[in-house]
Amino acid sequence: MFFLYWPLARMRTLTLAVILFANYFFYARWSLTLLALIPAVSSIDYVLGLGLQYSENAIVRRMLVTASIAMNLGLLAFFKYMPFFLGNWADWTGKAAPAWNWALPISLSFYVFQALTYTIDLYRRDAKGTRSYLAHLAAVSFFPTILAGPITRVETLLDQFEKPKKLDAASGGRALFLIALGLVKKLLIADYLAGNLVNRVFDFPKLYTGAEVLIAVYAYAFELYYDFSGYTDIVVGSALLLGIKLPPNFNAPYIADNIADFWRRWHITLSNWLRDYLYFSLPGKRIKFFSYTNLVITMVLGGLWHGASWNFVVWGALHGVGLAGVRLWQSWRGTAKATGFWRYFYIFLTFHYVTFAWIFFRAPDFETAWSILQRIASVTISFANVSPELWIILGIGVLAHYMPKQWYEFSLSVYVRAPFYAQAAALAALAFGIQYVARTGAAPFIYQRF
Amino acid sequence: MPWKTILTVVTFAGLMLLPQAAPPLRNMKIFDPQTIPVVWQMPVPKPPPEPVATVRNVITIHQQAGLASSINEEPAATSVVDPTHQMDRFYASLLKGGVTRVLHYGDSPTTADLITADARALLQKQFGDAGSGFVLIARPWAWYGHRGVEMDASNWKIDVAGATALKDGLHGLGAASFRGSTGAVAHWTLKDTGHSKVEIAYLAQPDGGAFSMEADGTEIGSAETAGEQAPGYASFTFPPGSKNFTLRVTRGPVRLYGADFRKAGPGVVYSSLGINGANVTLLSHAMNGPHWAAELQHYRPDLVVVAFGTNESGFPTFVDGTWGKELKAAVRRIQAALPDVSILLMSPMDRGERKNNGEIGTVEAMPRLVDIESKVAAETGVAFFNTFQAMGGEGTMAKWYNGEPRLVGADFIHPMPAGARIVGELLYNALREGYNGYKLRQLKESETGARESEVESTDAPRTDPRLGSEASKQ
Repeated sequence: MFFLYWPLARMRTLTLAVILFANYFFYARWSLTLLALIPAVSSIDYVLGLGLQYSENAIVRRMLVTASIAMNLGLLAFFKYMPFFLGNWADWTGKAAPAWNWALPISLSFYVFQALTYTIDLYRRDAKGTRSYLAHLAAVSFFPTILAGPITRVETLLDQFEKPKKLDAASGGRALFLIALGLVKKLLIADYLAGNLVNRVFDFPKLYTGAEVLIAVYAYAFELYYDFSGYTDIVVGSALLLGIKLPPNFNAPYIADNIADFWRRWHITLSNWLRDYLYFSLPGKRIKFFSYTNLVITMVLGGLWHGASWNFVVWGALHGVGLAGVRLWQSWRGTAKATGFWRYFYIFLTFHYVTFAWIFFRAPDFETAWSILQRIASVTISFANVSPELWIILGIGVLAHYMPKQWYEFSLSVYVRAPFYAQAAALAALAFGIQYVARTGAAPFIYQRF
Repeated sequence: MPWKTILTVVTFAGLMLLPQAAPPLRNMKIFDPQTIPVVWQMPVPKPPPEPVATVRNVITIHQQAGLASSINEEPAATSVVDPTHQMDRFYASLLKGGVTRVLHYGDSPTTADLITADARALLQKQFGDAGSGFVLIARPWAWYGHRGVEMDASNWKIDVAGATALKDGLHGLGAASFRGSTGAVAHWTLKDTGHSKVEIAYLAQPDGGAFSMEADGTEIGSAETAGEQAPGYASFTFPPGSKNFTLRVTRGPVRLYGADFRKAGPGVVYSSLGINGANVTLLSHAMNGPHWAAELQHYRPDLVVVAFGTNESGFPTFVDGTWGKELKAAVRRIQAALPDVSILLMSPMDRGERKNNGEIGTVEAMPRLVDIESKVAAETGVAFFNTFQAMGGEGTMAKWYNGEPRLVGADFIHPMPAGARIVGELLYNALREGYNGYKLRQLKESETGARESEVESTDAPRTDPRLGSEASKQ
């Protein structure tokens, strides 16, 4: 892609064609049948977008955006939520659930959210849109972001597609550094924690002591962060190699000192999406009580977006209640940041609240989540199943997360300034290191299944 | 053009390809150019569906591999190896149609009633359900469970054989004892309301206290545990439909072992007696010999299954030096206590571990351990079921882990419920096959017997007028 793209960089249409080819090529590698789905819905959104660009009639515009929302959310409802609805319907009625043989197309949740930014922004006149069919198709299913984000506004991509492409040495170095960093996060930390403790404990929590289960829950908090932020680094680096800048998705989330702060640092593009396209659209903004309930509703729906199960509903509700609690607290005590001991105390508290909610996020069902809580509450102490290597990797993960940002910037600047052969040698050394240290092979990215 | 980045990427690609060109660096090869065409394959080739998701598939694999037996050949990998027909006592009991009792000792899967619950359900479906069987007083481990029975208990001091300061080894049938004084309570809720009797096992002791039993909130009796030190049993009958049972210690101290829930009708009672993390030395040494023998004799089993080896397989030195001796000692103890009872050694399942090349493989000592176990079975004259081979042999846990649905946990040891069901079905199928073989042999023997008596009767003077008339008809 990289070597095909840059020789054509001065020809806008051809670069868009290369991007579009890559978008559909990667999608086709998962399923040829479902490849037809994305171009079809993208085309409909393009036509609806044209209508929104040309029409000034409020009723027509409302109908157009409603059609786009209904189509995209309908896709999600059909592929993602139908088995959940049918299963619950069967539980409530006592009748057998009808067979449902449609597989969830990979990354559909991310595609739908990204696609909706286009028509909703046009409706709100926050974007000017495009008349180029090719540009729309290339942007709405931009291959680096289609698997698991960052959820990028289509308008942001369209703007960059229009501008002349350039990749200076600093950006190129930064891109390679991010890809390398992402691989380290994923293969050396996230996968190690998953394979050597987290997956075992979440499979059979009753086999482990309360202390081991607690360590596994902490380890999962860091596994999830390194898995998803590692993925994001690789994606941001890949897009940057094509001269496209993607929005940041993480900013040291576990130093957040309240839940609202956490969502400004964790999966930032999703929280922005939920705020801009869902929370702001809910009725009752001017009534104080509704601002709290709307937070809970937004986060419950955000939880359901991750997966069609009651576990995700509980996870979303916990975050919604947490956000509402923070807002209530701030309306009472003000929004001034705590300092000194209290800041660290709030960071500790926030981390544990978030980690508690992760139990429901990770556990396959309520029964397992409950078993995990019961085991922790049993206060049985032994670490026989936590190996010294795991302690070391977990320790590295924790320290790296709380490492001062300047250290990261310093490492990045050293790499970027290095000559090309030193950059290549560092990448090669890393590749060999990963090969020999992380021998377990790569597990799928966690967020890929959403 | 971003020349510096292009040069970096090209140099990096060259470094990756270097081991292909330079023989001394072959060991550092991390990229195989032959995999490039995979990039163009659409959709991405997925691993072939794992052919282990059902028992039928397991058997098909064995048939394809020539591991399945035909009549008069070596036993199949999925069959019980029983050259001396030692299992006939068990099969005879099933054929007779009364109550057939199975005691199944094992490690962690048995503790959680995995495998055993599925085998129990299948046997009870075919031969009748005579009750849930033996359940401990409380959970010594969070992992402990018995399908169809919910448990809740408080104020007990729990001692597990081999893992307690109590060195007397008096741990009842289930290798765990529960000491309590006034206020100690145990609750059981049975899903199946068809039970009619419960027997509480305890240790009679000179200063023994007393306990009472309730069914659905109504007291159904009480028992004194004072007496000379010996195993004791208190039996309580209760009204049909009862499902909630409560044991209360009314005067301490008491030392209890478990509750045996029975139904009135004929059928199978299959008690899972799992001890978490245990190895076979629990049976060979940790249990007090005469006490355990008395317990075994009281429960009058028709079959005792001994299923250990998973925990031992992690210690190759133990496997090579001690495993066989300890296993033999355990079998001898059971044989001494129950000379006329069928005994089945059930080998461990496959056990996986992550190898240095990143692949999941069978722990190195497991094949040797299973081999030793089969020899011990032959030497002691008991039956043997090779679970390891029946489920597919070496590498099975890798297939089970990578399969869809996943059949084993991320520790590559403990089966998920679907995996346990497969092993439970394999055990049941092996027992059913043995039972059918037994019935066939019985039929043949009775035919042969009839023919011989016919021959004898033709040679002998016809003293019985009925035989004479039958013979004259032919």
